[in-house]
Amino acid sequence: MAEPNAAIVTRGLAKRYGRQVALDGLDLRVPTATVYGFLGPNGAGKTTTLRILTGLVRPDSGSVELLGRPFGRGERRVLFRVGALIEAPSFYPFLSGRENLRALAAAGGPVPRGRVDEVLDLVSLRDRAGDRVSGYSMGMRQRLGIAAALLNDPALLLLDEPANGLDPAGIVGLRETLRALAAQGRTVLVSSHILSEVEQLADVVGIIARGRLVREGPVAGLLAREGEVRLRVAPDEVATAGAALERLLGAGSVRRADDRGGVWLVARCDPARAADLNRQLAGAGVFASRIEAGATLESLFLELTGSARDGLGGA
Amino acid sequence: MRLFGSHLRRLVRRPATLVTYLLLTGLILLIIVAVAAASQQVADPQSSLAARLILTFPSAWTLTLAMVVAVGGMLALTYGAAIAGAEWSWGTLKTAVARGESRARYTLAAIAGATVLAWAGTLIAYAAGIVGALASAAAVHITSATLIDAQTAGDLAGQLARTALAIAMDVSIGYAIATVARSQLAGIGAGIGLYFGEGIIGIFVPQIVKWAPFAATSAMLGGGTTAVAGAASAASSARLDPDLAVVVVVAWLVLAAGFAAVWTERADING
Ligand SMILES: Nc1ncnc2c1ncn2[C@@H]1O[C@H](COP(=O)(O)OP(=O)(O)OP(=O)(O)O)[C@@H](O)[C@H]1O
Ligand SMILES: [Mg+2]
Repeated sequence: MAEPNAAIVTRGLAKRYGRQVALDGLDLRVPTATVYGFLGPNGAGKTTTLRILTGLVRPDSGSVELLGRPFGRGERRVLFRVGALIEAPSFYPFLSGRENLRALAAAGGPVPRGRVDEVLDLVSLRDRAGDRVSGYSMGMRQRLGIAAALLNDPALLLLDEPANGLDPAGIVGLRETLRALAAQGRTVLVSSHILSEVEQLADVVGIIARGRLVREGPVAGLLAREGEVRLRVAPDEVATAGAALERLLGAGSVRRADDRGGVWLVARCDPARAADLNRQLAGAGVFASRIEAGATLESLFLELTGSARDGLGGA
Repeated sequence: MRLFGSHLRRLVRRPATLVTYLLLTGLILLIIVAVAAASQQVADPQSSLAARLILTFPSAWTLTLAMVVAVGGMLALTYGAAIAGAEWSWGTLKTAVARGESRARYTLAAIAGATVLAWAGTLIAYAAGIVGALASAAAVHITSATLIDAQTAGDLAGQLARTALAIAMDVSIGYAIATVARSQLAGIGAGIGLYFGEGIIGIFVPQIVKWAPFAATSAMLGGGTTAVAGAASAASSARLDPDLAVVVVVAWLVLAAGFAAVWTERADING
Protein backbone atom coordinates (compact mmCIF):
# COMPACT_ATOMS: atom_id res chain seq x y z
CA MET A 1 0.00 0.00 0.00
CA ALA A 2 2.34 2.70 1.26
CA GLU A 3 4.83 3.87 -1.32
CA PRO A 4 8.41 4.21 -0.15
CA ASN A 5 10.14 7.57 -0.56
CA ALA A 6 6.93 9.46 -1.14
CA ALA A 7 5.78 12.14 1.27
CA ILE A 8 2.41 12.52 -0.41
CA VAL A 9 0.54 10.06 -2.57
CA THR A 10 -3.00 10.72 -3.73
CA ARG A 11 -5.06 8.28 -5.72
CA GLY A 12 -8.16 9.28 -7.64
CA LEU A 13 -9.00 12.27 -5.47
CA ALA A 14 -12.35 13.74 -6.41
CA LYS A 15 -14.23 16.66 -4.92
CA ARG A 16 -17.14 18.69 -6.14
CA TYR A 17 -18.73 21.81 -4.74
CA GLY A 18 -22.35 21.55 -5.78
CA ARG A 19 -22.18 21.19 -9.55
CA GLN A 20 -18.66 22.59 -9.74
CA VAL A 21 -16.02 19.90 -10.10
CA ALA A 22 -12.91 20.95 -8.18
CA LEU A 23 -10.95 17.68 -8.41
CA ASP A 24 -11.57 14.98 -10.93
CA GLY A 25 -9.45 11.95 -10.07
CA LEU A 26 -6.17 13.52 -9.05
CA ASP A 27 -3.11 11.25 -8.71
CA LEU A 28 -0.07 12.94 -7.22
CA ARG A 29 3.22 11.50 -6.03
CA VAL A 30 5.49 13.86 -4.15
CA PRO A 31 8.94 12.38 -3.48
CA THR A 32 10.49 12.80 -0.03
CA ALA A 33 13.19 15.43 0.47
CA THR A 34 12.32 17.47 -2.60
CA VAL A 35 10.76 20.80 -3.35
CA TYR A 36 7.67 20.04 -5.39
CA GLY A 37 6.17 22.80 -7.53
CA PHE A 38 2.39 22.43 -7.67
CA LEU A 39 1.16 24.30 -10.71
CA GLY A 40 -2.13 24.90 -12.44
CA PRO A 41 -4.33 27.67 -13.81
CA ASN A 42 -6.76 29.55 -11.56
CA GLY A 43 -9.47 27.20 -10.41
CA ALA A 44 -7.49 24.08 -11.31
CA GLY A 45 -7.91 22.64 -7.83
CA LYS A 46 -4.62 23.41 -6.07
CA THR A 47 -6.09 24.94 -2.94
CA THR A 48 -8.76 22.25 -2.79
CA THR A 49 -6.01 19.61 -2.87
CA LEU A 50 -4.18 21.34 -0.01
CA ARG A 51 -7.40 21.51 2.01
CA ILE A 52 -7.82 17.78 1.59
CA LEU A 53 -4.19 17.12 2.53
CA THR A 54 -4.68 19.01 5.80
CA GLY A 55 -7.99 17.40 6.70
CA LEU A 56 -10.01 20.60 6.29
CA VAL A 57 -12.14 19.14 3.54
CA ARG A 58 -13.00 15.51 2.91
CA PRO A 59 -12.77 14.21 -0.64
CA ASP A 60 -15.83 12.65 -2.26
CA SER A 61 -13.65 9.73 -3.26
CA GLY A 62 -10.02 8.74 -3.54
CA SER A 63 -7.32 8.17 -0.97
CA VAL A 64 -4.36 10.04 0.50
CA GLU A 65 -1.10 8.89 2.05
CA LEU A 66 0.84 11.39 4.11
CA LEU A 67 4.39 10.69 5.24
CA GLY A 68 4.02 7.03 4.45
CA ARG A 69 0.73 6.45 6.23
CA PRO A 70 -2.86 6.37 5.05
CA PHE A 71 -4.57 9.66 5.91
CA GLY A 72 -8.28 9.51 6.44
CA ARG A 73 -10.94 10.32 8.98
CA GLY A 74 -9.59 10.45 12.52
CA GLU A 75 -5.96 10.34 11.40
CA ARG A 76 -5.30 13.93 12.40
CA ARG A 77 -2.10 13.17 14.35
CA VAL A 78 -0.06 12.88 11.15
CA LEU A 79 -0.66 16.61 10.80
CA PHE A 80 1.53 17.24 13.86
CA ARG A 81 4.43 16.71 11.42
CA VAL A 82 2.90 18.82 8.63
CA GLY A 83 3.04 22.60 8.35
CA ALA A 84 0.67 24.46 6.07
CA LEU A 85 -0.21 27.88 4.75
CA ILE A 86 -3.43 27.63 2.81
CA GLU A 87 -4.73 30.57 0.83
CA ALA A 88 -4.62 33.79 2.88
CA PRO A 89 -2.84 33.58 6.26
CA SER A 90 -5.35 33.69 9.13
CA PHE A 91 -4.84 35.45 12.45
CA TYR A 92 -6.58 37.18 15.33
CA PRO A 93 -6.28 40.84 14.30
CA PHE A 94 -6.28 42.12 17.87
CA LEU A 95 -3.32 39.97 18.97
CA SER A 96 0.32 40.61 18.13
CA GLY A 97 2.24 38.40 15.74
CA ARG A 98 3.97 36.65 18.62
CA GLU A 99 0.72 36.13 20.55
CA ASN A 100 -0.89 34.68 17.44
CA LEU A 101 1.90 32.15 17.09
CA ARG A 102 1.58 31.29 20.79
CA ALA A 103 -2.15 30.77 20.34
CA LEU A 104 -1.43 28.45 17.40
CA ALA A 105 1.20 26.58 19.37
CA ALA A 106 -1.51 25.68 21.90
CA ALA A 107 -3.40 23.74 19.22
CA GLY A 108 -2.29 20.54 17.53
CA GLY A 109 1.16 19.07 18.00
CA PRO A 110 3.48 20.19 20.80
CA VAL A 111 5.78 23.13 20.08
CA PRO A 112 9.01 23.49 22.08
CA ARG A 113 9.64 26.68 24.08
CA GLY A 114 11.59 29.28 22.18
CA ARG A 115 10.37 27.98 18.83
CA VAL A 116 8.06 30.98 18.37
CA ASP A 117 10.96 33.42 18.42
CA GLU A 118 13.01 31.10 16.24
CA VAL A 119 10.47 31.16 13.42
CA LEU A 120 9.94 34.90 13.85
CA ASP A 121 13.66 35.30 13.25
CA LEU A 122 13.51 32.99 10.27
CA VAL A 123 11.00 35.26 8.50
CA SER A 124 12.71 38.48 9.75
CA LEU A 125 9.67 39.61 11.70
CA ARG A 126 11.21 39.65 15.17
CA ASP A 127 11.25 43.43 15.60
CA ARG A 128 7.57 43.80 14.67
CA ALA A 129 6.41 40.69 16.51
CA GLY A 130 4.93 42.71 19.36
CA ASP A 131 2.63 44.77 17.11
CA ARG A 132 -0.98 43.90 16.48
CA VAL A 133 -1.55 41.90 13.31
CA SER A 134 -4.32 44.32 12.27
CA GLY A 135 -1.53 46.84 11.65
CA TYR A 136 0.61 44.51 9.52
CA SER A 137 1.24 45.06 5.83
CA MET A 138 0.25 42.31 3.38
CA GLY A 139 3.81 41.01 3.09
CA MET A 140 4.22 40.99 6.88
CA ARG A 141 1.08 38.90 7.24
CA GLN A 142 2.42 36.53 4.61
CA ARG A 143 5.69 36.24 6.50
CA LEU A 144 3.80 35.52 9.71
CA GLY A 145 1.80 32.87 7.85
CA ILE A 146 5.02 31.19 6.72
CA ALA A 147 6.34 31.39 10.29
CA ALA A 148 3.15 29.71 11.49
CA ALA A 149 3.60 26.90 8.96
CA LEU A 150 7.15 26.32 10.23
CA LEU A 151 6.11 26.34 13.89
CA ASN A 152 6.11 22.60 14.48
CA ASP A 153 9.34 22.02 12.54
CA PRO A 154 7.42 20.03 9.92
CA ALA A 155 8.64 17.04 7.97
CA LEU A 156 6.22 18.10 5.24
CA LEU A 157 5.50 21.70 4.41
CA LEU A 158 2.51 22.72 2.26
CA LEU A 159 2.54 26.29 0.99
CA ASP A 160 -0.19 27.84 -1.14
CA GLU A 161 1.28 30.73 -3.11
CA PRO A 162 3.73 31.65 -0.34
CA ALA A 163 5.46 34.39 -2.34
CA ASN A 164 2.25 36.44 -2.42
CA GLY A 165 3.11 39.99 -1.46
CA LEU A 166 6.71 39.23 -0.45
CA ASP A 167 9.38 41.76 -1.38
CA PRO A 168 12.41 40.63 -3.44
CA ALA A 169 14.50 40.00 -0.31
CA GLY A 170 11.61 38.01 1.13
CA ILE A 171 11.38 35.88 -2.01
CA VAL A 172 15.09 35.14 -1.99
CA GLY A 173 14.92 34.34 1.72
CA LEU A 174 11.97 32.03 1.18
CA ARG A 175 13.76 30.23 -1.63
CA GLU A 176 16.84 29.70 0.54
CA THR A 177 14.77 28.51 3.49
CA LEU A 178 12.86 26.00 1.38
CA ARG A 179 15.99 24.68 -0.33
CA ALA A 180 17.62 24.28 3.08
CA LEU A 181 14.60 22.34 4.37
CA ALA A 182 14.73 19.96 1.42
CA ALA A 183 18.46 19.50 1.96
CA GLN A 184 17.66 18.40 5.53
CA GLY A 185 15.43 15.67 4.12
CA ARG A 186 12.13 17.48 4.53
CA THR A 187 9.55 17.72 1.79
CA VAL A 188 8.12 20.98 0.56
CA LEU A 189 5.11 21.39 -1.71
CA VAL A 190 4.63 24.90 -3.08
CA SER A 191 1.81 26.03 -5.29
CA SER A 192 2.70 29.09 -7.29
CA HIS A 193 1.92 31.06 -10.41
CA ILE A 194 5.40 32.58 -10.63
CA LEU A 195 6.88 29.99 -12.97
CA SER A 196 10.32 31.54 -13.21
CA GLU A 197 10.52 31.26 -9.43
CA VAL A 198 9.36 27.63 -9.48
CA GLU A 199 11.89 26.82 -12.17
CA GLN A 200 14.65 28.02 -9.85
CA LEU A 201 13.22 26.48 -6.72
CA ALA A 202 11.57 23.17 -7.50
CA ASP A 203 13.15 19.77 -8.11
CA VAL A 204 9.90 18.24 -9.28
CA VAL A 205 6.75 19.78 -10.65
CA GLY A 206 3.20 18.58 -10.99
CA ILE A 207 0.95 20.47 -13.36
CA ILE A 208 -2.80 20.11 -12.95
CA ALA A 209 -5.71 21.44 -14.96
CA ARG A 210 -9.42 21.02 -14.34
CA GLY A 211 -8.79 18.84 -11.32
CA ARG A 212 -6.52 16.33 -13.06
CA LEU A 213 -2.79 15.82 -13.27
CA VAL A 214 -1.48 16.59 -16.75
CA ARG A 215 2.26 16.21 -16.14
CA GLU A 216 4.54 15.31 -13.27
CA GLY A 217 8.28 14.85 -13.08
CA PRO A 218 11.69 16.36 -12.41
CA VAL A 219 11.95 19.87 -13.82
CA ALA A 220 15.15 19.25 -15.77
CA GLY A 221 13.79 16.06 -17.34
CA LEU A 222 10.47 17.63 -18.31
CA LEU A 223 12.12 20.62 -19.91
CA ALA A 224 14.52 18.38 -21.82
CA ARG A 225 11.84 15.98 -22.99
CA GLU A 226 9.27 18.61 -23.77
CA GLY A 227 11.76 21.12 -25.13
CA GLU A 228 11.97 22.39 -28.65
CA VAL A 229 14.46 23.77 -31.13
CA ARG A 230 13.31 26.44 -33.59
CA LEU A 231 15.17 26.87 -36.85
CA ARG A 232 14.62 29.73 -39.30
CA VAL A 233 14.91 28.47 -42.90
CA ALA A 234 14.17 29.99 -46.27
CA PRO A 235 10.62 29.28 -47.50
CA ASP A 236 11.77 27.32 -50.55
CA GLU A 237 13.94 25.04 -48.38
CA VAL A 238 11.23 24.06 -45.90
CA ALA A 239 10.46 20.70 -47.53
CA THR A 240 14.11 19.60 -47.74
CA ALA A 241 14.92 20.81 -44.24
CA GLY A 242 11.79 19.26 -42.71
CA ALA A 243 12.51 15.88 -44.26
CA ALA A 244 16.13 15.97 -43.08
CA LEU A 245 15.09 16.77 -39.51
CA GLU A 246 12.42 14.07 -39.44
CA ARG A 247 14.99 11.53 -40.59
CA LEU A 248 16.92 12.40 -37.43
CA LEU A 249 14.08 12.81 -34.94
CA GLY A 250 11.31 10.62 -36.31
CA ALA A 251 8.19 11.33 -38.28
CA GLY A 252 5.81 13.91 -36.82
CA SER A 253 8.36 15.56 -34.58
CA VAL A 254 8.72 18.67 -36.70
CA ARG A 255 6.10 21.29 -37.42
CA ARG A 256 6.07 24.54 -39.31
CA ALA A 257 5.30 27.85 -37.68
CA ASP A 258 5.19 31.08 -39.65
CA ASP A 259 5.53 34.54 -38.30
CA ARG A 260 6.21 37.99 -39.73
CA GLY A 261 9.91 37.27 -40.13
CA GLY A 262 9.36 34.17 -42.27
CA VAL A 263 9.21 30.43 -41.59
CA TRP A 264 10.21 28.54 -38.46
CA LEU A 265 10.65 24.80 -38.30
CA VAL A 266 9.94 23.72 -34.77
CA ALA A 267 11.48 20.42 -33.71
CA ARG A 268 10.29 18.73 -30.54
CA CYS A 269 13.44 17.45 -28.83
CA ASP A 270 15.95 18.03 -26.08
CA PRO A 271 17.22 21.61 -26.53
CA ALA A 272 20.73 20.32 -25.97
CA ARG A 273 20.53 18.69 -29.39
CA ALA A 274 20.40 22.01 -31.27
CA ALA A 275 23.90 21.49 -32.68
CA ASP A 276 22.94 18.01 -33.96
CA LEU A 277 20.02 19.49 -35.83
CA ASN A 278 22.16 22.22 -37.28
CA ARG A 279 24.65 19.62 -38.52
CA GLN A 280 21.85 17.53 -40.01
CA LEU A 281 20.52 20.54 -41.94
CA ALA A 282 23.97 21.40 -43.20
CA GLY A 283 24.35 17.82 -44.38
CA ALA A 284 21.21 18.27 -46.44
CA GLY A 285 22.59 21.49 -47.89
CA VAL A 286 20.32 23.80 -45.92
CA PHE A 287 21.58 26.52 -43.64
CA ALA A 288 19.43 27.96 -40.90
CA SER A 289 19.59 31.71 -40.51
CA ARG A 290 18.63 31.53 -36.82
CA ILE A 291 18.41 28.84 -34.18
CA GLU A 292 16.60 29.11 -30.86
CA ALA A 293 16.65 26.28 -28.41
CA GLY A 294 15.10 25.63 -25.05
CA ALA A 295 11.93 25.41 -23.16
CA THR A 296 10.74 27.27 -20.13
CA LEU A 297 8.36 26.08 -17.54
CA GLU A 298 6.11 28.84 -18.78
CA SER A 299 5.96 27.57 -22.37
CA LEU A 300 5.45 24.02 -21.13
CA PHE A 301 2.74 25.13 -18.70
CA LEU A 302 0.83 27.11 -21.30
CA GLU A 303 0.97 24.27 -23.77
CA LEU A 304 -0.07 21.57 -21.29
CA THR A 305 -2.87 23.46 -19.64
CA GLY A 306 -4.26 24.61 -22.97
CA SER A 307 -4.39 28.17 -21.74
CA ALA A 308 -1.97 29.62 -24.28
CA ARG A 309 -4.56 31.21 -26.51
CA ASP A 310 -7.02 32.70 -24.00
CA GLY A 311 -6.47 36.32 -23.20
CA LEU A 312 -6.11 35.70 -19.50
CA GLY A 313 -5.42 31.98 -19.47
CA GLY A 314 -7.52 30.09 -16.95
CA ALA A 315 -9.22 26.73 -17.07
CA MET B 1 -5.97 22.45 29.47
CA ARG B 2 -3.31 24.05 27.26
CA LEU B 3 -5.97 24.81 24.67
CA PHE B 4 -8.47 26.11 27.23
CA GLY B 5 -5.88 28.43 28.76
CA SER B 6 -4.96 29.71 25.34
CA HIS B 7 -8.61 30.42 24.51
CA LEU B 8 -8.96 32.28 27.81
CA ARG B 9 -5.90 34.42 27.12
CA ARG B 10 -7.03 35.45 23.67
CA LEU B 11 -10.57 36.22 24.87
CA VAL B 12 -9.24 38.45 27.64
CA ARG B 13 -7.41 40.44 24.97
CA ARG B 14 -10.37 40.60 22.66
CA PRO B 15 -12.09 44.00 22.32
CA ALA B 16 -15.52 42.36 22.12
CA THR B 17 -15.05 41.14 25.69
CA LEU B 18 -14.46 44.62 27.08
CA VAL B 19 -17.28 46.10 25.01
CA THR B 20 -19.70 43.46 26.30
CA TYR B 21 -18.63 44.08 29.90
CA LEU B 22 -19.08 47.82 29.59
CA LEU B 23 -22.43 47.39 27.86
CA LEU B 24 -23.80 45.06 30.53
CA THR B 25 -22.53 47.09 33.48
CA GLY B 26 -23.77 50.31 31.90
CA LEU B 27 -27.23 48.88 31.23
CA ILE B 28 -27.55 47.57 34.79
CA LEU B 29 -26.57 50.91 36.31
CA LEU B 30 -28.99 52.69 33.99
CA ILE B 31 -31.83 50.40 35.06
CA ILE B 32 -31.04 50.99 38.72
CA VAL B 33 -31.07 54.75 38.26
CA ALA B 34 -34.44 54.40 36.50
CA VAL B 35 -35.72 52.27 39.38
CA ALA B 36 -34.57 54.87 41.88
CA ALA B 37 -36.43 57.53 39.92
CA ALA B 38 -39.55 55.36 39.78
CA SER B 39 -39.47 54.89 43.55
CA GLN B 40 -40.09 58.63 43.89
CA GLN B 41 -43.27 58.51 41.75
CA VAL B 42 -46.06 59.74 43.98
CA ALA B 43 -48.67 59.49 41.20
CA ASP B 44 -48.28 55.73 40.86
CA PRO B 45 -47.96 54.25 44.35
CA GLN B 46 -47.92 50.64 43.14
CA SER B 47 -44.86 50.92 40.91
CA SER B 48 -43.25 53.16 43.46
CA LEU B 49 -43.61 50.34 45.97
CA ALA B 50 -42.14 47.74 43.58
CA ALA B 51 -39.23 50.04 42.84
CA ARG B 52 -38.54 50.61 46.53
CA LEU B 53 -38.43 46.82 47.00
CA ILE B 54 -35.62 46.50 44.47
CA LEU B 55 -33.58 49.06 46.35
CA THR B 56 -34.27 47.53 49.77
CA PHE B 57 -31.80 45.07 51.23
CA PRO B 58 -31.62 42.15 51.69
CA SER B 59 -34.16 41.51 48.88
CA ALA B 60 -32.04 43.71 46.58
CA TRP B 61 -29.39 40.96 46.48
CA THR B 62 -31.49 38.43 44.57
CA LEU B 63 -33.56 40.98 42.64
CA THR B 64 -30.45 42.64 41.23
CA LEU B 65 -29.02 39.26 40.29
CA ALA B 66 -32.20 38.34 38.43
CA MET B 67 -31.94 41.60 36.53
CA VAL B 68 -28.28 41.06 35.62
CA VAL B 69 -29.01 37.56 34.34
CA ALA B 70 -31.96 38.73 32.25
CA VAL B 71 -29.92 41.39 30.46
CA GLY B 72 -26.67 39.42 30.60
CA GLY B 73 -28.26 36.30 29.12
CA MET B 74 -28.86 37.96 25.81
CA LEU B 75 -25.40 39.50 25.79
CA ALA B 76 -23.84 36.12 26.63
CA LEU B 77 -25.69 34.68 23.65
CA THR B 78 -24.35 37.32 21.27
CA TYR B 79 -20.89 36.99 22.83
CA GLY B 80 -20.87 33.24 22.13
CA ALA B 81 -22.06 33.93 18.60
CA ALA B 82 -19.37 36.56 18.00
CA ILE B 83 -16.63 34.20 19.12
CA ALA B 84 -17.78 31.27 17.00
CA GLY B 85 -18.41 33.46 13.97
CA ALA B 86 -14.94 34.98 14.19
CA GLU B 87 -13.30 31.54 14.35
CA TRP B 88 -14.80 30.79 10.94
CA SER B 89 -14.48 34.17 9.27
CA TRP B 90 -10.94 34.91 10.46
CA GLY B 91 -9.82 31.41 9.51
CA THR B 92 -8.32 30.73 12.93
CA LEU B 93 -10.28 27.48 13.27
CA LYS B 94 -8.82 26.48 9.90
CA THR B 95 -5.22 26.93 11.02
CA ALA B 96 -5.81 25.03 14.26
CA VAL B 97 -7.43 22.10 12.44
CA ALA B 98 -4.66 22.04 9.82
CA ARG B 99 -2.22 21.65 12.71
CA GLY B 100 -3.94 18.42 13.66
CA GLU B 101 -6.10 19.79 16.47
CA SER B 102 -9.33 17.95 17.19
CA ARG B 103 -12.23 20.04 15.97
CA ALA B 104 -14.54 18.96 18.77
CA ARG B 105 -11.95 19.63 21.46
CA TYR B 106 -11.19 23.04 19.98
CA THR B 107 -14.88 23.95 19.90
CA LEU B 108 -15.57 22.82 23.46
CA ALA B 109 -12.48 24.63 24.76
CA ALA B 110 -13.63 27.82 23.03
CA ILE B 111 -17.12 27.49 24.54
CA ALA B 112 -15.63 26.86 27.99
CA GLY B 113 -13.33 29.88 27.68
CA ALA B 114 -16.17 32.13 26.54
CA THR B 115 -18.35 30.87 29.39
CA VAL B 116 -15.72 31.73 31.98
CA LEU B 117 -15.37 35.26 30.63
CA ALA B 118 -19.13 35.78 30.26
CA TRP B 119 -19.60 34.54 33.82
CA ALA B 120 -16.89 36.90 35.06
CA GLY B 121 -18.61 39.76 33.24
CA THR B 122 -21.89 38.84 34.88
CA LEU B 123 -20.27 38.94 38.31
CA ILE B 124 -18.65 42.29 37.58
CA ALA B 125 -21.96 43.74 36.46
CA TYR B 126 -23.63 42.24 39.52
CA ALA B 127 -21.10 43.83 41.85
CA ALA B 128 -21.58 47.15 40.09
CA GLY B 129 -25.35 46.70 40.35
CA ILE B 130 -25.18 46.10 44.11
CA VAL B 131 -22.98 49.14 44.61
CA GLY B 132 -25.38 51.11 42.41
CA ALA B 133 -28.38 49.89 44.42
CA LEU B 134 -26.72 50.88 47.70
CA ALA B 135 -25.84 54.31 46.37
CA SER B 136 -29.29 54.87 44.83
CA ALA B 137 -31.01 53.75 48.03
CA ALA B 138 -28.96 56.22 49.99
CA ALA B 139 -29.71 58.96 47.49
CA VAL B 140 -33.49 58.49 47.68
CA HIS B 141 -33.42 57.78 51.43
CA ILE B 142 -34.53 54.17 51.41
CA THR B 143 -33.16 52.51 54.49
CA SER B 144 -32.80 48.80 55.05
CA ALA B 145 -33.03 47.14 58.46
CA THR B 146 -30.32 44.59 57.68
CA LEU B 147 -27.94 44.50 54.74
CA ILE B 148 -27.88 40.73 54.52
CA ASP B 149 -29.26 37.81 56.54
CA ALA B 150 -28.42 34.11 56.66
CA GLN B 151 -31.43 33.17 54.54
CA THR B 152 -30.47 35.56 51.72
CA ALA B 153 -26.82 34.54 51.83
CA GLY B 154 -27.86 30.89 51.45
CA ASP B 155 -30.22 31.66 48.56
CA LEU B 156 -27.60 33.77 46.87
CA ALA B 157 -24.99 31.02 46.76
CA GLY B 158 -27.48 28.71 45.05
CA GLN B 159 -28.62 31.46 42.69
CA LEU B 160 -25.07 32.30 41.67
CA ALA B 161 -24.40 28.67 40.81
CA ARG B 162 -27.55 28.52 38.72
CA THR B 163 -26.60 31.77 37.02
CA ALA B 164 -23.35 30.15 35.90
CA LEU B 165 -25.37 27.36 34.30
CA ALA B 166 -27.63 29.86 32.57
CA ILE B 167 -24.68 31.83 31.20
CA ALA B 168 -22.99 28.65 29.98
CA MET B 169 -26.19 27.68 28.18
CA ASP B 170 -26.54 31.12 26.58
CA VAL B 171 -22.94 31.11 25.34
CA SER B 172 -23.33 27.59 23.95
CA ILE B 173 -26.52 28.40 22.09
CA GLY B 174 -24.96 31.53 20.59
CA TYR B 175 -21.89 29.53 19.64
CA ALA B 176 -23.93 26.78 18.02
CA ILE B 177 -26.01 29.22 15.97
CA ALA B 178 -22.98 31.10 14.66
CA THR B 179 -21.22 27.81 13.88
CA VAL B 180 -23.99 27.01 11.45
CA ALA B 181 -24.09 30.58 10.11
CA ARG B 182 -20.26 30.78 9.92
CA SER B 183 -20.43 34.50 10.51
CA GLN B 184 -20.35 36.79 13.51
CA LEU B 185 -23.12 39.08 12.36
CA ALA B 186 -25.50 36.36 11.21
CA GLY B 187 -24.89 34.50 14.46
CA ILE B 188 -25.55 37.57 16.59
CA GLY B 189 -28.68 38.41 14.59
CA ALA B 190 -30.06 34.89 14.84
CA GLY B 191 -29.25 34.80 18.56
CA ILE B 192 -31.14 38.00 19.30
CA GLY B 193 -33.99 36.77 17.10
CA LEU B 194 -34.21 33.56 19.11
CA TYR B 195 -34.16 35.46 22.39
CA PHE B 196 -37.07 37.70 21.52
CA GLY B 197 -38.79 35.13 19.30
CA GLU B 198 -39.10 32.78 22.23
CA GLY B 199 -40.75 35.45 24.34
CA ILE B 200 -43.22 36.34 21.62
CA ILE B 201 -44.15 32.76 20.75
CA GLY B 202 -44.48 32.11 24.48
CA ILE B 203 -47.48 34.44 24.59
CA PHE B 204 -49.36 32.08 22.26
CA VAL B 205 -48.17 28.63 23.25
CA PRO B 206 -46.84 28.96 26.81
CA GLN B 207 -47.15 25.20 27.48
CA ILE B 208 -44.59 24.44 24.80
CA VAL B 209 -42.32 27.43 25.21
CA LYS B 210 -41.86 26.81 28.93
CA TRP B 211 -39.43 24.09 27.87
CA ALA B 212 -37.46 26.53 25.71
CA PRO B 213 -34.03 27.77 26.86
CA PHE B 214 -34.85 31.24 28.12
CA ALA B 215 -38.16 30.33 29.76
CA ALA B 216 -36.40 27.48 31.53
CA THR B 217 -33.68 29.86 32.66
CA SER B 218 -36.11 32.27 34.22
CA ALA B 219 -38.00 29.39 35.85
CA MET B 220 -34.72 28.04 37.21
CA LEU B 221 -33.84 31.40 38.73
CA GLY B 222 -37.42 32.26 39.60
CA GLY B 223 -37.28 30.98 43.20
CA GLY B 224 -36.64 34.20 45.07
CA THR B 225 -37.70 36.67 42.43
CA THR B 226 -41.43 36.20 42.08
CA ALA B 227 -41.89 39.79 43.13
CA VAL B 228 -40.47 41.16 39.89
CA ALA B 229 -42.28 38.61 37.80
CA GLY B 230 -45.33 40.83 37.63
CA ALA B 231 -45.07 41.14 33.88
CA ALA B 232 -44.85 37.39 33.52
CA SER B 233 -47.81 36.71 35.79
CA ALA B 234 -49.95 35.53 32.88
CA ALA B 235 -47.37 32.91 32.04
CA SER B 236 -46.73 31.86 35.63
CA SER B 237 -49.06 28.87 35.32
CA ALA B 238 -46.84 27.71 32.45
CA ARG B 239 -43.63 27.76 34.44
CA LEU B 240 -41.42 24.78 35.06
CA ASP B 241 -40.67 23.79 38.61
CA PRO B 242 -37.28 25.40 39.45
CA ASP B 243 -35.52 22.08 40.02
CA LEU B 244 -36.89 20.59 36.82
CA ALA B 245 -35.81 23.82 35.08
CA VAL B 246 -32.22 23.19 36.16
CA VAL B 247 -32.33 19.85 34.36
CA VAL B 248 -33.84 21.47 31.28
CA VAL B 249 -31.17 24.20 31.20
CA VAL B 250 -28.40 21.62 31.53
CA ALA B 251 -30.00 19.64 28.73
CA TRP B 252 -30.01 22.72 26.46
CA LEU B 253 -26.42 23.45 27.41
CA VAL B 254 -25.25 19.94 26.56
CA LEU B 255 -27.32 19.87 23.40
CA ALA B 256 -26.02 23.21 22.10
CA ALA B 257 -22.37 22.56 22.92
CA GLY B 258 -22.59 19.02 21.54
CA PHE B 259 -24.27 20.25 18.41
CA ALA B 260 -21.59 22.90 17.85
CA ALA B 261 -18.87 20.27 18.29
CA VAL B 262 -20.47 17.71 15.98
CA TRP B 263 -21.30 20.29 13.34
CA THR B 264 -17.70 21.55 13.36
CA GLU B 265 -16.44 17.95 13.15
CA ARG B 266 -18.46 17.25 10.03
CA ALA B 267 -18.17 20.56 8.17
CA ASP B 268 -15.90 21.32 5.24
CA ILE B 269 -13.61 24.14 6.27
CA ASN B 270 -13.01 26.33 3.24
CA GLY B 271 -11.45 29.76 3.19
N1 LIG C 1 -15.89 26.80 -1.10
C1 LIG C 1 -16.13 26.59 -2.40
N2 LIG C 1 -17.40 26.64 -2.86
C2 LIG C 1 -17.66 26.44 -4.15
N3 LIG C 1 -16.74 26.17 -5.07
C3 LIG C 1 -15.47 26.11 -4.70
C4 LIG C 1 -15.10 26.32 -3.33
N4 LIG C 1 -13.76 26.20 -3.25
C5 LIG C 1 -13.31 25.93 -4.49
N5 LIG C 1 -14.33 25.87 -5.37
C6 LIG C 1 -14.23 25.59 -6.82
O1 LIG C 1 -13.33 24.52 -7.00
C7 LIG C 1 -12.49 24.77 -8.11
C8 LIG C 1 -11.04 24.69 -7.67
O2 LIG C 1 -10.76 25.74 -6.78
P1 LIG C 1 -9.35 25.94 -6.07
O3 LIG C 1 -9.49 27.02 -5.08
O4 LIG C 1 -8.88 24.62 -5.59
O5 LIG C 1 -8.44 26.42 -7.27
P2 LIG C 1 -6.91 26.87 -7.30
O6 LIG C 1 -6.19 25.93 -8.19
O7 LIG C 1 -6.41 27.01 -5.91
O8 LIG C 1 -7.01 28.28 -7.99
P3 LIG C 1 -6.17 29.64 -7.77
O9 LIG C 1 -4.95 29.53 -8.60
O10 LIG C 1 -7.08 30.69 -8.31
O11 LIG C 1 -5.91 29.78 -6.31
C9 LIG C 1 -12.88 26.13 -8.67
O12 LIG C 1 -13.73 25.92 -9.76
C10 LIG C 1 -13.64 26.77 -7.55
O13 LIG C 1 -14.64 27.62 -8.04
MG1 LIG D 1 -5.77 28.65 -4.74
